[in-house]
Amino acid sequence: MRFNKAFILFFGLLVLCCCNSKEGSLFSHPKATKTGVTFKNTLTSTDDLNILDYLYFYNGGGVAVGDINNDGLPDIYFTGNQVKNKLYLNKGNLQFEDITEKAGVAGNSEWNTGTVMADVNGDGFLDIYVCAVIGINGFNGFNELFINNGDGTFSEQAAKYGLDLDTYSSNAAFFDFDLDGDLDMYLLNHAVHTENSFGRVNLRYERNYETGDRLLRNDNGKFIDISEEAGIYGGINGYGLGLSIADFNTDGYPDIYVGNDFHEDDYFYLNNGDGTFTESLKNHFGHTTRFSMGNDVADINHDGLPDLISLDMLPEEEVPLKASEGDDNIQTQRIRTEQYGYHYQFTRNMLFVNQPDGKFLETALTSGVAATDWSWSALFADFDQDGEQDLFISNGIPKRPNDLDFIKFVSSDEILKKIDNTKLVDDKALSLMPSGNSHNYVFRGKGKLGFEDLSNAWITKDTLISGATAYADFDLDGDLDLITNNLNEEAKFYINQTNDANNYIKLKFKYSEKNSHGIGTKVYAYVAGKLSYKELQPSRGFQASSEPIIHFGFGQEETIDSLKIIWPNNQFQVLTQVKTNQTLTIQPENTKPVKFKADTRPNNLRFQKLEEKLGLDITHKEDNYIHFNREKLIPYQVSDRGPAVAFEDINNDGKKDFFIGGSKFIANQIYLQQDSLFVRKKMPFVNNDSIKEVTTIAVVDANGDLQNDIILGSGGADFFGNAEALTESYFVASDSTFTKNSFPEIFENTSVIIPYDFDQDGDEDVFVGRQSITAAYGKKPTSQLLENTNGKFKPVQQESFADLGMVTNAVWSDFDGDNQKDLIVVGEWMQPYFFKNTNGKFTPISSPKITGLWQKIAPFDIDGDGDLDYLLGNWGTNSKFKATANAPMKMYVSDFDTNGTSETVVTIQKNNKEYTLATLDDLAGQMVSLRKKFTNYRSFAGKTLLEIFDENQLKKAKILEVNTLESGYLKNNNGEFTFVPFTLELQLAPILEFSIFDFDKDGKVEALAAGNYFGVKPYHGRFDSFPGALISNENEVILGGNLGLDFTQKSIRKLQVFEFNGKFYLLAVFNNEEAQLYQINT
Amino acid sequence: MLKRIYILFGVVICFTACKKEVKPIEISPEQYHASIDKVTEVMIHDIFSPPVASRIYAYPNIAAYEILSQKHENYKSLNGQLHQLTAIPTPEENQTVNYELAALIAHMQLSKSLIFSEERIEAFQDSLYTQWSAVNEEEFNNSKTYALQVVDHIKEWMSKDNYSQTRTFPKFSVNSEDPSRWQPTPPAYMDGIEPHWSKIRPFVIDSSNQFTPTPPPPFSMEEGSDFYKEVKEVYDISNEITQKGDSSEEVAIAKFWDCNPYVSVTRGHLMFATKKITPGAHWIGIVKIAAKKSNSDVMETIYAYTKTSIAIADGFISCWDEKYRSNLIRPETLINQHIDESWEPVLQTPPFPEYTSGHSVVSGAASEALTSIYGDNFAFDDDTEIPYGLPVRSFPSFRKAAEEAAISRMYGGIHYRAAVEVGIKQGRDLGTFIVDNLEMKVDQNVASN
Repeated sequence: MRFNKAFILFFGLLVLCCCNSKEGSLFSHPKATKTGVTFKNTLTSTDDLNILDYLYFYNGGGVAVGDINNDGLPDIYFTGNQVKNKLYLNKGNLQFEDITEKAGVAGNSEWNTGTVMADVNGDGFLDIYVCAVIGINGFNGFNELFINNGDGTFSEQAAKYGLDLDTYSSNAAFFDFDLDGDLDMYLLNHAVHTENSFGRVNLRYERNYETGDRLLRNDNGKFIDISEEAGIYGGINGYGLGLSIADFNTDGYPDIYVGNDFHEDDYFYLNNGDGTFTESLKNHFGHTTRFSMGNDVADINHDGLPDLISLDMLPEEEVPLKASEGDDNIQTQRIRTEQYGYHYQFTRNMLFVNQPDGKFLETALTSGVAATDWSWSALFADFDQDGEQDLFISNGIPKRPNDLDFIKFVSSDEILKKIDNTKLVDDKALSLMPSGNSHNYVFRGKGKLGFEDLSNAWITKDTLISGATAYADFDLDGDLDLITNNLNEEAKFYINQTNDANNYIKLKFKYSEKNSHGIGTKVYAYVAGKLSYKELQPSRGFQASSEPIIHFGFGQEETIDSLKIIWPNNQFQVLTQVKTNQTLTIQPENTKPVKFKADTRPNNLRFQKLEEKLGLDITHKEDNYIHFNREKLIPYQVSDRGPAVAFEDINNDGKKDFFIGGSKFIANQIYLQQDSLFVRKKMPFVNNDSIKEVTTIAVVDANGDLQNDIILGSGGADFFGNAEALTESYFVASDSTFTKNSFPEIFENTSVIIPYDFDQDGDEDVFVGRQSITAAYGKKPTSQLLENTNGKFKPVQQESFADLGMVTNAVWSDFDGDNQKDLIVVGEWMQPYFFKNTNGKFTPISSPKITGLWQKIAPFDIDGDGDLDYLLGNWGTNSKFKATANAPMKMYVSDFDTNGTSETVVTIQKNNKEYTLATLDDLAGQMVSLRKKFTNYRSFAGKTLLEIFDENQLKKAKILEVNTLESGYLKNNNGEFTFVPFTLELQLAPILEFSIFDFDKDGKVEALAAGNYFGVKPYHGRFDSFPGALISNENEVILGGNLGLDFTQKSIRKLQVFEFNGKFYLLAVFNNEEAQLYQINT
Repeated sequence: MLKRIYILFGVVICFTACKKEVKPIEISPEQYHASIDKVTEVMIHDIFSPPVASRIYAYPNIAAYEILSQKHENYKSLNGQLHQLTAIPTPEENQTVNYELAALIAHMQLSKSLIFSEERIEAFQDSLYTQWSAVNEEEFNNSKTYALQVVDHIKEWMSKDNYSQTRTFPKFSVNSEDPSRWQPTPPAYMDGIEPHWSKIRPFVIDSSNQFTPTPPPPFSMEEGSDFYKEVKEVYDISNEITQKGDSSEEVAIAKFWDCNPYVSVTRGHLMFATKKITPGAHWIGIVKIAAKKSNSDVMETIYAYTKTSIAIADGFISCWDEKYRSNLIRPETLINQHIDESWEPVLQTPPFPEYTSGHSVVSGAASEALTSIYGDNFAFDDDTEIPYGLPVRSFPSFRKAAEEAAISRMYGGIHYRAAVEVGIKQGRDLGTFIVDNLEMKVDQNVASN
């Protein structure tokens, strides 16, 4: 039986796979002539009204879907910008009738936008609310509320309800925010003021009538504006385009996420439960979309927490990518964030995965949904009913106003002389902008945060400009269909052909008189140990509301173990053993109150963050230097790899102390361990050395006098040439002072110094790894093995180590079990190198040719087979870097323009073609001759490396490669190592640190991994989403949000476990941040 | 038979026609002006920053001057007078070269290599080449061959001016912790332009810091401090003149001398740039006005362009040396921070430090160069900005024009008084030095008789 099921499943998948190969395999697209849905949002530019006069001219109309006559069939309402709105009655079999006239819902406003179906008056019939832009561009009217008379006609009664608003509205959502049983409303408005300068962040606190969002409380059928008292921002800078309602923090009260276009931050309003909200974006999100468009919410990873996608406009294709204005430069980003107070925003879609501690991990690049061009609506739904949420994204714009050629060349040459004189010029201006009609996207959810682009297969690619989109089961076959409202083209159906290939359940609710459809109802479905979760909020996507139902797919599962329904009033009921493939209408029965915990995580978290830190009040401050200002084409910085941290006995009192390396011109810090706490001690020898940036520390008794000596590795990638500040500092302890001693001088950026008596002669030798040469990034620096003779260090076996590459970390570890510690070295743009130690002589051993941006290596028996495996921290995949064995990322190092300084050009592959990551402006800023070769952006955009540089230039270049970006481990199979990548959740950011310790006191050690890194240009974003993870074995990983760790939005440099007065602690030291101290609970 | 007659007839016609065409190619000053205008036009399109633009004017003019001055005894070569410039090659003995033509070809050829959009110069150049080779192919070919030799010589010299090296020098580092330090300004927040321009080899002045100006008043935002008063003055003047409206003389002056090659504009969802000539280009335009008004011949025209463009180029090197020494913050940043959050200057703040005013320095230097050629009290009507929608302004002298250009930066709200007043002095001192030290036209009396 079991076998049979599996077989069917396998076969089913096989069939699905086959179908996937051709366009339109999941969705069919019946034509308007067949369905009768002929609505077309025809847009006509005029001299007085066009994209030049109105920035949101192309945002399109809205669409709302719901059953207005309670016949079980979802009907469709479209709004038009310049055309009248239309209502189509679903008559079954995908036949629709235009009943607009009879229903009286054509509308009177002159520019309609979003629309919502909701039973506002609680009579059991869905009403229709229509948003409009009023008061600019000569637009007249007001937001209309069409109250359903229950007989196929509607009466406009907005004024009666206090909803006849006349602002720049784009969308609305009806939901019961105060849990008083009736539906309140959030109105999303958009700003129009020009973006001449960023303006102050506090503009958002000054309420503006037309542009400020509104929260309206339903007081017995009258909607009262309580925005101000409820803590809703209403400034002149709120470019609201995206609106999601969900109980993000699962406390029983619905919260609000608002996506704002342009420089204004998105707003994340957490419901305080007392009628007010607290905007909390920065605490929960490390960064957001920049040109935020539509958004949507769903639990994509089966943890019962609502996740969020917010759309932007990053193109996937090379041509629009390189021809369009991109992200800020790094200094502008600093001004925007540090001086003006805005949050980090980047131009790409963002997928935010909600964690138990309230932090959202941003995974769009790893998940593969980051670039869908000029995107409007996102809708999550399980279209193929395999149990995983899929994603539909509508997109397109008739003209790209961010085209660089238009901005820099065309506009000026052709238009500007006339622009103020005549309106006629507008047509000319428009004709010079390229079109942005990219196809809509559909992604299949693969589970575990992965998505697969099936736009080629599931839908028929088109060049429609699609905006507002809604889902519904139009043909009552159980699966979810889609309808899009398009510019200048008829609305398009996406009729789902999944049918009975996979199982589903469709839930409708009969909740209460005032909230008849049960908006805010949550459903937890448990099937075979897997949780699926949804909350009923019809307003979603972009300027749209979907059918007010909850739908789950379950693959081949025939029975749902249990359905837990939490009603909007936080009473719940449970249905068990529910058959799939049916539509249920559920009403409250035998409900019980939900008990909410303030914190949904386990009570006894592994790590408890301490406010009182045993005197370890450590804050690292990075110096102001921007490495990209010196080496403008490098892929990432080398200047921010500190602080180095050592936990060793510095003052030779038998107790270990903390030594924290300082940045350039910033003093090192020493915290001496005393009986009840650590005490900061100023020691002149380190203060006098503070010009250097200390990147690694080795504490050893080098001269055998039983006192610890100190070697400080120096880096920072700012000092160059033969600057003394690039050399290591070697301090020898004598009595209570330290004196500087000589150490081999290499004027390069050092990354790691690790001691070991490799020749077993009784003194500590060291390996010194170096990462880069300032102003010659890409050139191999010199690493060294230094043999200690009476406290003097001398390089040995130089030929073996001089040319390793850009070393970041190394470890002494006996990998071959001969009881002599061997040496393993890792680094960036190189493979891990294994050196076998035979009585002090080192021979390289062949090892997997996995070239990566390796950051850290740690010995750890992850498979529990008794031998040592090696954990490897790498860059991760949540990045615009792309590398596989077949399509490696490459870095070409050469003096391309023969001006005496070498440049680096980094390339990735797309469809087997090699493209530079850098833009024309970046490249030509260094190599002026490219400006002559490419006198405009269009001529550069889409060009491959070989088309940009000639063969001779490339021939001279040294080429470095990366074929692996995943972090993972080298699995030891009887001395043979194979690389095994970690799962996606460990690929969200560079992993920079492992700490091996028996954290749970189960007698076996675990590995605590931490990471995040910010030393990249805004095009790459910020790798802030790795929360840390406790790795017990190959299959058991717990993310930091479940452990009590507060690692997101911070970039780790050191994890140090130590015992102090009988308790175990973890010190986490970050770059440019306050260190954290945790008590480890066992 | 008939055929043969026709052929004979044809040959006769051809013979006479060919004979007629063997005449020298004539080059007029207008043609040289046209070449300069073309370079200006392409530079606007390609968007060159003011310092880089000054370099693009200087070298081609020098090439032309070096060629043509060989023909005129009263014009001295710059060989040995400009840093590291050596004597250009001379034409081969048996080749007759039209020096005016060679000078013009060299100007176009070298200019083409310096701008980006070559096709825009090529179209202009090709039609001239066709005409000339039709008139006298041999003379054209000889002159062109020679011009290209000189261009190679000048290029070799030019390639050692550190321009290419400075491309890879570090960017200006923004450090907002220092309240006096320049930082990028709205709306585009562009990086500081050409932070290493002082490392470009100057033409005449000894070094970029030869005319180091007195420092600006010490930074202090204490009310009553000299520096604060200057900030406040910019704010007050701006308010006063904007209240008077666009028709006010001060606003007109500010806009006339804006000379910002790249002003970014946002209109709705739309971004674009309004592009104008640079301050250097404006003064190059004045050279044309003066040369035409004086009926200068080709030699004197090239002389005027060359001397002025050298003064402008050295002016930028000197000014940029100070800009990235004092790294002074712009009025817009300080006024927004301390006085009025929503204040915007009349002109868009250009993307580099405030002190001293580039337009003031360059106008000071250029006006001294022009005065040395055409004399003081040379009244002229300045129509340079007409293509950019601005009116004609009339000036009694080059120096008066320079004074107006300088003060325009205060009206524009982009400079404090010190940058303007010290700047024009810096420019005049530098210009005077160039006039005194550069021996180009000798025995002026003889020449003008």
